[in-house]
Amino acid sequence: MAAVLANPIARRLLRIPPSYFVFLVLLATLWIARPNMLNLNVMGIFIRQIVPLGILVLGQLVVMRVKSIDLSGGGIILLINYFISSGSFPGASLPFFVGLALATGLVIGLFNGFMVGSRRVSAVIVTLAVSIILVGLVQFLSSGNPPGDVPKLFNDLYNTKFLSVPTPVLFWILLTAAVSLLLSQTVFGRYVASVGENAEAAHFSGVPVQRTVILAHTLAGLIAAIAALVQTGSIAVGSVRVGLDLPILAVAATILGGVVFGRGDGGVWGPFFGALCFALLFVVMTVLGIDEPGKLIAQGVIILGAAIFYGVRVRAP
Amino acid sequence: MYRSLFNILSGRHTRQGLWGLPLLVALVISLWLTVQTTEFATAENLFNLVAQAMPLIIAAIGQLVVVLIGGLDLSVGSVISFTTAVLALDQPAILLIPAVFVLAAFIGLINGLAITRFNVHPIIATLSTQYIVLGITRILRPVSGGTVPEIVIGAVSGSFLGIPYPVFWGIVVILAAWKLLYGSRYGLHLFAIGGGIASGAESAARNFGVSDRRNIILAYVICSCFAAVAGVFLAGRIVSGDPNVGLLFELDTVTAVALGGTQLSGGIGSLHGTVIGALVMALLANGMNLANVSPFVQTAIKGGILLAVVGLQSRKKMGL
Repeated sequence: MAAVLANPIARRLLRIPPSYFVFLVLLATLWIARPNMLNLNVMGIFIRQIVPLGILVLGQLVVMRVKSIDLSGGGIILLINYFISSGSFPGASLPFFVGLALATGLVIGLFNGFMVGSRRVSAVIVTLAVSIILVGLVQFLSSGNPPGDVPKLFNDLYNTKFLSVPTPVLFWILLTAAVSLLLSQTVFGRYVASVGENAEAAHFSGVPVQRTVILAHTLAGLIAAIAALVQTGSIAVGSVRVGLDLPILAVAATILGGVVFGRGDGGVWGPFFGALCFALLFVVMTVLGIDEPGKLIAQGVIILGAAIFYGVRVRAP
Repeated sequence: MYRSLFNILSGRHTRQGLWGLPLLVALVISLWLTVQTTEFATAENLFNLVAQAMPLIIAAIGQLVVVLIGGLDLSVGSVISFTTAVLALDQPAILLIPAVFVLAAFIGLINGLAITRFNVHPIIATLSTQYIVLGITRILRPVSGGTVPEIVIGAVSGSFLGIPYPVFWGIVVILAAWKLLYGSRYGLHLFAIGGGIASGAESAARNFGVSDRRNIILAYVICSCFAAVAGVFLAGRIVSGDPNVGLLFELDTVTAVALGGTQLSGGIGSLHGTVIGALVMALLANGMNLANVSPFVQTAIKGGILLAVVGLQSRKKMGL
């Protein structure tokens, strides 16, 4: 094993994010099982469905680059969905809802960042606790029943197409490119990379570690709010269950994309393909007739497999 | 005398963590419930309370073992659900009960191996096994149903000399855990490894000849086995297999452990603190039920407690 890992070619291969391999394997599986599904229209619909996940991944990626994690996305999505669908703001316009959503995400993200960065509480605990508090509150406010309808404009926007590509997909790609630029071209991006590499060394080099972590969490909260808006547009109704499994999937897609707590060779596009993998995975599993429990098992196996892949790579000489 | 009392209440200069304060909180809540409601201070309600608290106490002790070495086991809840599902498989008890523990130990082994051999972060490793085990549980039993063996039901619901069996379960489990943590070489090693990890010297214990890898793997196996005991107890209480019975148990156990003064960064904590923490949680649930608080709000309050308790702990490491 060790000899194989020391081989230069094997080491080069291990640096490629697993998501690319998995994506190719899934594509091949689908091609063998249902060749007729591989056209732009069908694929566009499937990919459009996972845009909320894809957007959430962008936030997850930033926090995981600073060795943190954000599992509060489910709560944020549920809360924003409740705001929009419950009718608590009658006659409110689209800009108002977008502003409200972004403000909600900002506040929750800032809180997460403060707890993780300043209070130094374990990020898993903080974000999970925040999530269950939000979920509990939303379910209480709506007494366990789906709240109501979403203004029609949301779904109309979601269904538009631009040059035969669904707008949400285009939006996702643009947002990914923006995050990619943010991480590669700005000072903040450099800070994120250095904090993830070695927080102590970063601190002694004059990097504001605490501020970077807080900002990363705030950004993740904002991005989760955007994901919530897209998710709300996609289901077009209020729900008390929507998006609860998204944070875990986002973690899985990010790890699959080669970004594991700190060091990330996957950049932003590795996790992008990680999210695409889940789009294909759900299609393949539906085609093969595997239902809910099988999907749970597949999620777990993928997270564990990708993390082991990474762990082996770290230990390679 | 006053000094040691102060130390207990502040949790300073101690390896046991802050457990005096939660005990006070528990006493205050009980007193308040006794005054406020007529039903609380009856023998029936108190025995009921013990039975309600028992699964959490058992599972939290397992979580404590893992937390002491600076880890976290998020698969506890699904192991509990899985245990009830396996017990309701309609096979003879002599087969099912050993099978439950073998399977739980195997899940713990996977966790431990992934963490020690493959460098996977404990949270990621146990998160993925949580999903895998949950999926298998849903395949075994999509909705709650089936019947568990008679002997399991009998072991939970009977009483001896007017004292219900759950009380004996508690005594046995706590004594066993006491022996494990405070009366064995293994317990000493747990504190040694955790203390090293908490202070940033991850190889400290290894340098003194304590095999950290083997002990860490064993800790996860023990945690899963305690979760399985909790699962057997719960299966006896609900008489059937239920894929959702362990839902949120992983967070409840972490809350109970942290509430009992155990530091999540490892090395500092105590068995009595954890038991008290679990009792406080049960008392709160009992009180909120008596006060007719909505279950959704109860979940939110539990999350708030977790946030508050863990937020008050200080540690060096940032992030995960």
